[in-house]
Order: sequence, then C-alpha cells, then structure tokens
Amino acid sequence: MPLLWVLRDVLGLKGAKYGCGIGICGARTILEGHTAVRSCQIPLAEASQKAYTTIEGLSPAGDHPCQRAWIEEDVAQCGYCQPGMILTAAALLAHSPNPTDAEIDKAMSGSVCRCGTYNRMRRAIHRAAEGSRR
Amino acid sequence: MKVTRRSAVGGGASLALAFFLPRCEDAAFLFFEPNAYIRIAAGGSITLWIARSEMGQGVRTNLAATLADELDVDLSKVTLRQAMPGARFKGIRLRTSGSGSSSATFLPLRRAAAAAAREMLVGAAARRWNVPAESCRSESGAVVHRGSGRRLSYGELAEAAASEPVPKNARLKDPSQWRYIGKPVRRVDARAIVTGKAVYGIDARPAHALVAVIKRCPHIDGKLRSFDAAHAAAVPGVKHVVPISCGIFPGVAVVADTTWSAMKGCDALTVEWERGAQSSFDSGRHMQALAAAAAQEGFPIRRDGNVQPASDSATARLEAVYQYPLQAHAPLEPMNCAADVKPGSCEIWAPTQAPETAYQNAMKRLGLQEDSVEVHTTLSGGAFGRRLFVDYADEAVELSKAIGKTVQVIWRREDDMRSGFFHPASIEKLSAALTGGKIAAWQHKSVGSDLSMFGLASDEEKKDPEHYAKNEEPWGAFDTPYNFKDLKVDYVPVDCPVPTGSWRAVQYPSRVFARESFLDEVAHAIGQDPLQLRIDLLRPGDILVLGSQKIERTRMIRVLETARERFAWEQAFSVPHRLAGKGIALNIYSADSYMVQIAEVSVSADSGDLKIHRIACAFDCGLPINPTGLQGQVESGITWGLSATLHGKIDFRNGTAQQSGYHDFRVIRMNEMPLIETYIVPSDAAPGGFGEHPVAPVAPAVANAIFAATGQRLRELPLSLA
Repeated sequence: MPLLWVLRDVLGLKGAKYGCGIGICGARTILEGHTAVRSCQIPLAEASQKAYTTIEGLSPAGDHPCQRAWIEEDVAQCGYCQPGMILTAAALLAHSPNPTDAEIDKAMSGSVCRCGTYNRMRRAIHRAAEGSRR
Repeated sequence: MKVTRRSAVGGGASLALAFFLPRCEDAAFLFFEPNAYIRIAAGGSITLWIARSEMGQGVRTNLAATLADELDVDLSKVTLRQAMPGARFKGIRLRTSGSGSSSATFLPLRRAAAAAAREMLVGAAARRWNVPAESCRSESGAVVHRGSGRRLSYGELAEAAASEPVPKNARLKDPSQWRYIGKPVRRVDARAIVTGKAVYGIDARPAHALVAVIKRCPHIDGKLRSFDAAHAAAVPGVKHVVPISCGIFPGVAVVADTTWSAMKGCDALTVEWERGAQSSFDSGRHMQALAAAAAQEGFPIRRDGNVQPASDSATARLEAVYQYPLQAHAPLEPMNCAADVKPGSCEIWAPTQAPETAYQNAMKRLGLQEDSVEVHTTLSGGAFGRRLFVDYADEAVELSKAIGKTVQVIWRREDDMRSGFFHPASIEKLSAALTGGKIAAWQHKSVGSDLSMFGLASDEEKKDPEHYAKNEEPWGAFDTPYNFKDLKVDYVPVDCPVPTGSWRAVQYPSRVFARESFLDEVAHAIGQDPLQLRIDLLRPGDILVLGSQKIERTRMIRVLETARERFAWEQAFSVPHRLAGKGIALNIYSADSYMVQIAEVSVSADSGDLKIHRIACAFDCGLPINPTGLQGQVESGITWGLSATLHGKIDFRNGTAQQSGYHDFRVIRMNEMPLIETYIVPSDAAPGGFGEHPVAPVAPAVANAIFAATGQRLRELPLSLA
C-alpha cells in the first residue's frame, strides 16, 4: 500500500491529499527529511526505517514560516492543494533559503492548484524566506 | 432542552425568520436566535450558520464579515456552522451557483438577520434600563446607553432580546461605520487549511466506514452486461462487489476496508459492457456536425433593427468561425461522498454545491420522511459547477443501502476526468457588414448543445421559437452589450450524447471568446483602436434592457476608460528579441458585474513559444464586499480561463474521453503563471456575482494579443500557434 493511503486510511492523518494517485498533481506531498516526496508513489516497504513529516507535523503550533506567510498573504482558496504546496515550499526553503523566482517555479511546478493561487504562493514563499532570515 | 417556536414573521426576502426560545434553567444553554442563521448565547458566543458551500470562493469569510459588521461584533468572536438541508433550513436555499454566494446573500443577511438582531438587542437593553431605544447604541458585542455609559453585553441581553418585537425593516448601519465590509478581510479558515486540519469530503469518512471505488462504463450510452467478481473479491480487504446504476455512468462498486484495497479490487474486476447507439461518439465528428449546423436558421435570440438592408448595401463584409472544445472540470479533490443508510434514516457527508438536492434524492430513493435525512456539507476541494449535481451522493446512498453499511465512494482521478459531465463544445459564426469604416450590421450564430444535466428542452418547448431567448440564452450572445444598430443573434442547438453541464462561467466562455475576438478583427479591419471602438459601441452609455437584465453601459465605459489609463493601454508592449503585443476583451456578467482584461504576450519568432507576461483586469462589480477576496477570484478565474486557453480539451473517441488526468488534461502551473494586476473601480451599486466572471475574457484577450504580436488570428481553443 502506498504511504499516502497508510497515512490517510490507517493512521488517520488526512493532511496529505489524494489528487491523482500517479505523482503528478502534488496534493500528496510529504517530507522525507527536508526533501519533498510523493507519498502516493512510496510503497510501505520502502518507507521502513525512514522518517517522514506530514503537514500535521511541520510545526507543533502551525507557525512554520511558510504557514504564517500563507496566512498573511491570504493564499488559500479551496485549500485542498495547500498542505502539499506548503511542504514543497518548506523543502525549497530548507535547501535554498532565499530562492529566486526561477527556483520557485522549478520547485512548485510539480503541483497543481486548480484555484490558481500561484502568484500569492510565490509572494508567500518570498515572505517566508524573509521571515526566516530575520 | 425543550425549544419552542415563539413567533414567525416574514421579512428579508430569502430569509425565514423564526424565533426559538429555549426554556431551560441552565444559563449556559440559553440563547437568542432571531432566525435560522444567528445564535447569540447567554454565554456571549455568536454563531453564524453559513447557507452556502465553501469551495474556495471565500463565502464563509465574506458572510462572517458581513454579520460581524451589521450585528456589531468582533469578527474573531463569530463561530461558523454549516447549514444543513431540512429542519432549521427548510425552504431556505443552500445551493451555491450563479456566482451569487456572497452577493445574493449580502443584503438579506445584513437586514433580516444581523440588523434585526442588533435592533432587538438594543431594544432589550433600553427596556431593561427604561430609556428610549434611540439613546442606546451597539458597540462591539454590547449595548451602551449614551447618557449614563451603562453597558450590557449581547450575552447578557440574549434572553430578553428574544421577547422583543421583530423589526419589519431593520435599519442598516451606515457604510461609514463598517469595520470589515469593503476592506480586505483574510480567510477565516486559513489556519485550518495551512495546518491540514480543514475537512474536505474525502476527509469526512466516518471511522467505521468502508470505502468504495467504482469501475465505470468506459464509454457513453453503455450498460452493464455482466461482471465477474472473483478476482476482485480475492483482493485482501475487499468486502463487497456490487453493481451500481444511479450515477452518470453505470458501474460496479468494489467495497473494501481501505481505499487502496478498493482500487486494487477495481483493477482486478472483469466487467463486460453493452454498447448503445451513441457509444461510438467521436468529438471530431461532433465538431464537424456543429460546423454543418451553422447553415441552419436556428432560434432567434436577439433582433435589434434589421440586419438585411445594412448587409445588402455594405461595402465590405467580414466573417469568421470560432471553436470551443469539450472541457472537464478536474477539481483537485475528486468526487466523493460518504453515506450511512439505516432503517428510517440516512446521513450523508458530501463536498457539494447542492446539499438540498442530495437531501431530496436520498429521501426519494429511500422513501424516507422529511428530516430523517441529514446532509453534512463539507469543504469542497474545488467545485467549479461540477458539484452542482449530486451523482456521487446518489451513488453513496444507493451503495450504503445495498450493502447495509456506512460507505464512502471515492472517484479515482481518471473517473473524475471521464465519467462525470462536461462543458459542451460549440461553434460560433460571426459576421459584420462594414460601410464607410463603420460596423453597419453584426450577426452572431451560436451553434452548441444544451446542458443535459439540467434536463433538455422538450419537443413542446422547442416549438416555441422564443424558447431560448426567453431563457436569455446563450449567455454572452444574448446579452451582447454593444450598440450595433442592426444586430441579429441566433442559436442552433445540436444534440450531444455526452453528458453536459455547468462549468465555471457556464455559457459565457465560448461566446465571449468569439464575440470579443471578432470585434478585435473588425477593429483591425477598419483601423480603429480596439478599446476605443468598444467605448464607441457602448455609447450613448444608456441602459440596455434585455429581458430581466439591465445592462448599464456607462459602467462598462467607465471600466474601459479606467483600464486605458491605469494599465497604460496606449503604450506599446515590447520584449527584446520577441514579437510582443497586447489584446483586450470585456464581459458583463448577468448585467451586474463589468470587467475588462488586457493581456500582454510575446512569441519567439524562431520557436513560436508563447509567453503570457501580464493580464491586467479592471472591474466594477458593485460594492466590493471583500477586496482581497475579489482579487483572489480574479487570479483564480484568469488561471482557470488560461488553462482552457492554452491547454484544456477533452476528446472523445469511440465514446470514451481520451484524457484521464493532469498529464494529458494540462492545467496552468506556477511556471506558466503571468503577473495579474487588478483594479477595482469603486462602486456603490449592489454587489454583483463574481466567482465565474474573470474566466470568459481571458481567451479573447490572449488571442487578440497574439494577433497584435504576430498577425496570426487564432480562432480555436486551445490556442495553437502555427
């Protein structure tokens, strides 16, 4: 069983979403260390002995710089893609604390937001980067 | 706790006002409910029931802010609950459609709910203090007596307020006193969303529920012939394999203890389908049929003047045909619904735009009484018109009844792409007679298909030549806003066996694409500036009355003039080493929201690669209830429109939709996103519908910009440069 369904159906952690099941929409993004990975493409057997972070565990109080920036920039519309987007952005910032627009495009374009919140996400990522530097 | 209905009064058009006064000794449970929407508890808490579905448009935020202002409480003190069909909301519309969730609820909520409640609270305080009500005023959750400074909180007044007479015409607050309305208010549910705690339909599965994934007939007009459950039943975790017939496409449900087992079971299932007369449907042939039907006379939609004399004497004539393909919705959260059918009752958890339809359907299907069905409307992970129909809820109810257990139906992405309903394809044929560098006559023939999900027109109805004109259809053609002295609009409906229905902006996108593109063609042909030509065609700035609509041309002119200046229309757009240009398009949504978009694009002269740099959007949507929400909807609608402009298309071969996911039904992603600039033209007109509005002008604005850049006129969506 892919990790996505273990999280959702067995562990009851529903922050990672089902969008396409084939790894091209991004809704199922979780972190392995500081890298964004596709939970719908990771068989449970491959996950053993590894540590993953879901949106529920990104920060205890829900105040990771990305989460704060997302609220401040009023990013979310329907919100369904946003946990995956936030984790993808968190991974980007972990690797590249002050990303350029091109880096943001590269990191974020594996994910779909059907509501079209992309420009606000971009602003939120820049804001989170600034917030982390302070 | 016994709740008795004290009195019921009319007032506030769409709101049923009723009093509930609990007789209860425990003060914590005492509350004042001036109507179905609001509860003010003796403990001081304020609850607002949201009678629309949140699907990203921000209705929960907008209505909470509206209540907070008119009731005079702090927004952070308002707790939201989702309205459920039946009982408390019997006879009250919960359906979310037509871009009206905030705009249509705004005034009724202010007047009947919030203002009336506030007046009653003030009245109760005045009575308590034995002073005239005029000497008291509300102040952030309390009533204050001006003279003495005495103060009682709403909580303290809750019980007494319930005995106050209901004001027939409660006085609204003066807009100068608004703290929230008209100012940017961020989403009230943002924290839940960013922490992953927001509950969508797919997350709302009851703990003990099983999961069903349905193998659906791959082609239209099919029937189940037979199935062999053996392999599916052998998959660990699979509990039931059951045919299901009530959906848009028939199927066989595999019910398991986890989603994965249900999916695996579905893969293992062998089904034989029977093909019907339409099962060889081909969308390419359908487009040809539409094009051929353009020769038919069709139904008269608009007749301004008489196009014949002007056409006969014209010195030049321009004609063009535009094409719009079938489209899918592809919301990120696939269709799903959980149902728990028990003897005599049914509970449903659905991400839906139409909870009352799910409620009625369940009652009918199960033969249940009013109020024995409960529908919990969850958040929707995008809806866009798809969730206006409740086939997924019907399926969950049918299945739960069949297996006698609680079950959640989850659609796979490929089912969501192929087995729902679609935006119909259309052909738009336009022609203009030109005399002396002016438009002498304008003709628009729209050839498309009615939306079968809403029920097709009967043969009897179609005998009435005015049938479509009376329905003010097709949108974007019927309500052509321009002052063409001689105008002829016709509609030719062509049967389409593919299920078709509402898709964001419904009938506007294809007609506005054609109308606004063709006007650009004419502008270039007669050597006029496309923006100025539009202004000229809206003169004398009168009110155009069309059926139920009153199009205020001055508002549209003002938006155009504002856009010209603010977005520097007359300044050329250039990009080094690339062909660059800008294009303009406008639309008026239901006569109450006026919008113009200007696109700036560039094309590589070598590779033909297209880049959309910026889309600037100016609009007058009446009073902007929440500017940041409106800007978000502009970004959202433009992204939606751009996906269709550049990528979106569903092809049918042999009755089967060929696209199955985001890999072959591409949508805009971050790397393709242009800058979007918005400007809200101030207005104190009544708030207009908005969530769909920005979709339609995108395609023509971009196509017109491509023409300006390259001289290539693209008339077929998705746009494809030669």
